[in-house]
Amino acid sequence: MFKEKLKYAFYTIGHPADGFYEIRHRGQGSVPLALLFVFLFGLCFSANRQYAGFVVNFVNPMEINSFAEMLAVFVLFFLFCVGNWSITCLMNGEGRLKDIVTVCGYSMLPMILTFVPAIILSRFVVADEEAFYYILMGFGIAWFLLLVLSGVMTVHNYTLGKTLLTIIFTFVAMLIIVFIAMLLYSLLSQVISFFVSIYNELMLRA
Amino acid sequence: MKRIWKDLFCGKASGRLAEAGSVKKDCAVRQAAGTLAKAAALLAGTAVMMWDLGGIIVQAGQSVPYTTYNYDYYEDIKYTPAAYVPDGIVTGAQIGCGNLAGPQDLNTDENGDVYIADTNNNRIVVTDRDFNLIKVIEEFDNQGKKETFAAPNGVYVSSNGNLYIADTNNMRVVELDGEGELVQIIANPKSDVLEEGYVFRPMKVAVDYADRVYVIAQNQFEGIMAFNEVGDFLGFTGTINVQITPWEIFWRRFSTKEQRARQQLFIPTEFTGMEIDKDGFVYATNVDGEGEQSVRRLNPSGEDVIQKKEGGLSGDLDWRLAGTYSGPSRIVDVAVRNQGIYSILDSVRGRIFTYDHEGNLLYIFGGLGSQEGTFTGPVAIDTIGEEILVLDATRNLINRFKATQYGSLINQAVGLRYDGDEVQAVECWREVLKLDSNFELVYVGIGKSYLAAGQNKEAMECFRIGNSKQYYSIAYKRYRNEILKENMGTILTSVIVLVILWAVWSKLGKKLWKKRRVSHV
Repeated sequence: MFKEKLKYAFYTIGHPADGFYEIRHRGQGSVPLALLFVFLFGLCFSANRQYAGFVVNFVNPMEINSFAEMLAVFVLFFLFCVGNWSITCLMNGEGRLKDIVTVCGYSMLPMILTFVPAIILSRFVVADEEAFYYILMGFGIAWFLLLVLSGVMTVHNYTLGKTLLTIIFTFVAMLIIVFIAMLLYSLLSQVISFFVSIYNELMLRA
Repeated sequence: MKRIWKDLFCGKASGRLAEAGSVKKDCAVRQAAGTLAKAAALLAGTAVMMWDLGGIIVQAGQSVPYTTYNYDYYEDIKYTPAAYVPDGIVTGAQIGCGNLAGPQDLNTDENGDVYIADTNNNRIVVTDRDFNLIKVIEEFDNQGKKETFAAPNGVYVSSNGNLYIADTNNMRVVELDGEGELVQIIANPKSDVLEEGYVFRPMKVAVDYADRVYVIAQNQFEGIMAFNEVGDFLGFTGTINVQITPWEIFWRRFSTKEQRARQQLFIPTEFTGMEIDKDGFVYATNVDGEGEQSVRRLNPSGEDVIQKKEGGLSGDLDWRLAGTYSGPSRIVDVAVRNQGIYSILDSVRGRIFTYDHEGNLLYIFGGLGSQEGTFTGPVAIDTIGEEILVLDATRNLINRFKATQYGSLINQAVGLRYDGDEVQAVECWREVLKLDSNFELVYVGIGKSYLAAGQNKEAMECFRIGNSKQYYSIAYKRYRNEILKENMGTILTSVIVLVILWAVWSKLGKKLWKKRRVSHV
């Protein structure tokens, strides 16, 4: 079962239109597998910061925090999925949250596949050959973007124009979600501190 | 928070390092005497012991009123041992000419004689290198008429010993010879590029080997004014172009005429101080609000030919945005030193930044305050040999700084490298490394010597620590070629073996594969 799903993920990144259609309508996708891909991409992203060769690595090693970086990848991933879901719900999208998660997760597979060889390659390049590393990375990222685009288009049964529009709205939705989350956080902390001070007052006065 | 913590911790650590550094000299004597104090651990041990025994070694380095630091590749502060320590102050009374009053400039000549523009006393004070009074110039003879100065802001000694005085309120530059006789007066420059009724108020003056006179004048934003040896105005040099960001253009588009009129004018920054090196290039400092480039090296045709690194040449790389001591460094003067080294003086935080000819920061020290070795109103900097002099216009005195072992080793190493003597330089760098293992330039220096010696792997390691991607690449390329050459046989053999295996597989394997598929059906 898992093997077939995995094989299907590889099929999908090569044939996005067919692949994502089957995922939407014939249940060929797998959410756990998509989350696994996100996790692996988080690993690759962090590994790239830490282990990319000296010539191409401009990151201060003192500032690398793998856990925080992976968390950031996950947070962005879920923000995008939820944002996209909330927008497409309003814009007659046919995709379910499950499908959006699968699309985004599967789309990260090419980045995993190119980051790993790019990191290995980067350890063997010198100043003039950095281009190979950047091309490999850029290729993975471009592939990812195309997959997300075609995936969102397919699962929601949108035209290209509408897809681009919803993606722009998705970013707006993400901002709104972050804003509300921060608002909630500050409100909650005020409420908590209010109760804490009532508690203190009661305890210390008594 | 992080920075504060770093300050606290590293401040202490650097203090300890400075102790270890100053103690090292004594230990060297001991070594010569035959003691077996070779191991570094033992050395540090003795240092701490001596310290604990109660100040047997009292050096100024132990009570430095400021921190000495440098920036690393990631633009983080790395505290270092003290490179320069205060070496006393000199007041007018000590010189023997009465107190100075708001002195604005200081210049030294080749013999180490010091010329001070004692601005508010309207005089020039001349002393020898130990600050014994030579003479006080208050007046000069102009065709039988005694003339005096009015708020002289700048003073400069040319290579032939003539004294140039920027006599600001008299709107002229006065040139006197060694005996104090008037040579010429430069006043009232005439040119098409100067507007009608231009008021010439010279603030700073400098003279090159061809007796061309460079003048920084008040409210003259076009650049430094250049005059030939007989005082004719030649034109402007080193004009700084105004830089407008797209963001400012954007805002100006949307503002009304009235708003625009009230906005800040986009005018080039003013030059603040200058000095001329042996080759006749003008080092000039300017105020840079962005904190990117505050010192220029102008060639005879007025182009900036200074070498700079990514961090720029403007003192501090990060600063507070508001509050006390905030904003980018305001560089007020430059001191050109030997072998391409130069120091610039920041009046915002009272720091002295020293760069080498490639624009690498060597050491940063100094601070504002009222202790000996700190400033209230630093205005001018100059050097006598390795000694650094800083003129304080508010406290009316001169701060003297002497190099520690650490500072002078760096000066020496950079000098040797400038002269092309890499082997000797590496010896110095290794000594520096014993005092400060965080100094990236040292690793690059040592790495270069490894590279020259063909020890590519060691060179790679040095360049990696020194964060020099450029040289690391060179070393790594050579190392990679070496490895490939050594293992060429193995690589070729394995390629051939793989090709054969593949050929065999494609013949036999396919048959086997087919059989299996057939049997399945």
